[in-house]
Amino acid sequence: MSSSSSQFKQLEKLGNGTYATVYKGLNKTTGIFVALKEVKLDSEEGTPSTAIREISLMKELKHENIVRLYDVIHTENKLTLVFEYMDKDLKNYMDSRTSGNSTRGLELSLVKYFQWQLFEGVTFCHENKILHRDLKPQNLLINNKGQLKLGDFGLARAFGIPVNTFSTEVVTLWYRAPDVLMGSRSYSTSIDMWSCGCILAEMITGKPLFPGTNDEEQLKLIFDIMGTPDEQLWPAVTSLPKYNRNLPKKEPKDLKKLLQAHTKEIVDDQVIDLVTGLLQLNPDARLTAKQALHHPWFGEYYQQQ
Amino acid sequence: MAEHLTFKTNNIPNICNNTNHNDSDNNNDENIETIMLPTSFLKCSRSDLVVLISRMLTFLIQINDRNEILTENNSAMIPTQTDVNNKNNNNMINLTRFHSRVPPNISVNNYLIRLTKYASLEHSVLLSSLYYIDLLSSVYPEFKINSLTVHRFLLAATTVASKGLSDSFCTNSHYAKVGGVRCSELNILETDFLRRINYRIIPRDDNIKLCKLEKKSSQFTLDLGDLLAANIQPELTHPNSGYNVLNIYYRKMVQIVGLLKNSTDKSKKVNYIIQTNYNDTNISDIDDNRKVIQIYAQHITPQKRNYDDHVNILTKGEQIQQTDKSVMSKPEDGLPKVPKYSPEYAPKYNILNSNE
Repeated sequence: MSSSSSQFKQLEKLGNGTYATVYKGLNKTTGIFVALKEVKLDSEEGTPSTAIREISLMKELKHENIVRLYDVIHTENKLTLVFEYMDKDLKNYMDSRTSGNSTRGLELSLVKYFQWQLFEGVTFCHENKILHRDLKPQNLLINNKGQLKLGDFGLARAFGIPVNTFSTEVVTLWYRAPDVLMGSRSYSTSIDMWSCGCILAEMITGKPLFPGTNDEEQLKLIFDIMGTPDEQLWPAVTSLPKYNRNLPKKEPKDLKKLLQAHTKEIVDDQVIDLVTGLLQLNPDARLTAKQALHHPWFGEYYQQQ
Repeated sequence: MAEHLTFKTNNIPNICNNTNHNDSDNNNDENIETIMLPTSFLKCSRSDLVVLISRMLTFLIQINDRNEILTENNSAMIPTQTDVNNKNNNNMINLTRFHSRVPPNISVNNYLIRLTKYASLEHSVLLSSLYYIDLLSSVYPEFKINSLTVHRFLLAATTVASKGLSDSFCTNSHYAKVGGVRCSELNILETDFLRRINYRIIPRDDNIKLCKLEKKSSQFTLDLGDLLAANIQPELTHPNSGYNVLNIYYRKMVQIVGLLKNSTDKSKKVNYIIQTNYNDTNISDIDDNRKVIQIYAQHITPQKRNYDDHVNILTKGEQIQQTDKSVMSKPEDGLPKVPKYSPEYAPKYNILNSNE
């Protein structure tokens, strides 16, 4: 049924999204909590592109690991998107678990459960030919049942519709793939998989893996850890617009040692293998979401079934 | 009612049309160049695409204009109170947000060239606007593409498609300048368009069907039960299909108005043919061959049937008293003959026939 704004009681403010303000809301008829995302309609811009994308894509994505968009309410100068209510985002959650200066990751069993759900959601998007393009802990929402869902599709796009221009201004810098940083406009699903790799490492250690402040530094941080790419490893790399021939040649670092330094639990070889598969510099060599779901690290989930 | 389109901007040139090609040379057909188009619209040059789309629009406008009532000076009939009260008056135009008072003083072809150039419209955006005609009219029967609605519709459709599908887009104030309307008006058109189609802007399989279903049940999204009841697979798309829609429109368009003689828009004297032979089952570059052929077949049969119906209606003498003399005027080559004032015909001349 189509909703009207009177159907919801607006409660406390939950935060400011990329283009909107989000409030907690109560559906007065059903007694169910919702998230109300208020989008101002700008006189110069009309309906923001982000809102058009988010609504047109999310209304079709019905999956357990994707936040549901229930409805859109129109009032004179704003749009209100009615979303499924989630308790917090992964960033809040990780922050709340870090006390003082000691950065600490999540328990590996929880990391595994969250990462699995992340892959489930991403697989569904990719199967339906939708790129999220802004995966990061702030956009992964969790609830008290331990469910994780993808939110904020304001940068997403349907990739089956052939369009000539692919923006390189996508994905928050820390989670942006090296091919995109070097100006590639022909990226596809692999762009989301790089972000998944960054998120997995961050959940284990409790801190972002590549916290760059600009494009150049971002690439440097990536190559410091993953090694500097060459044509042998990544044949097309030298033809990318922003490829820099003069970068110092770095060897890949030992990821296991790096991640192990920030957690008390034993980081096993399987999870390192998964992180490595996601953080392949060459986008063609990166694991797909479906392949990632079948990674042996998740073996125990299969055995249970 | 909407005001006239105006073109007063600083950096965007003032295009006034009407200087149209003094077509004196309609004699020698042999001199018409024939261009072989690629099977995929993405490889088609944008200028050819613009020519084809404006031919297609002109084709549709011509049919729909004949079904609408235009008063002698070509302006829309503004409803009077008596008309409004008299619901049986089926000669009334249903005015929409997209209506101009009089046909704007710029041809469809020039308007589309202008939008494409100054709003940098991409291939997909251009073709989507064609697809949106079918989408909008399927859920908003009052809307028809005609000489009064085409400009505002094109502006709204390309604005929405650019913002929703493409990564390069401008502000509405820019689109409004290019399109010759006030920004506030474009904002209203955009909102009206998005709401009517329930934000279903992504051209894929079943989209029109789903949009209709949502509208019918006045729901924002459908649940599984609704889909199963309508015999639609719950999965969004079947793997690797569902994205041929724009290519289907492209091919259909070339098939209908590719040849110059099939179009009254003679602004470019070129014949277009497409590499693929539709009767050939080995269609390359298409994910789901069967589907394309099926839609192709659907298009052919109803049209044939319409000719028959048309003859029947005329021979039976039905609707004769509603028909004025101009209806009997000879139809142009390749144009289906449509009796006036028979609204049941009008929706059939969308680009693709949606199977009812």
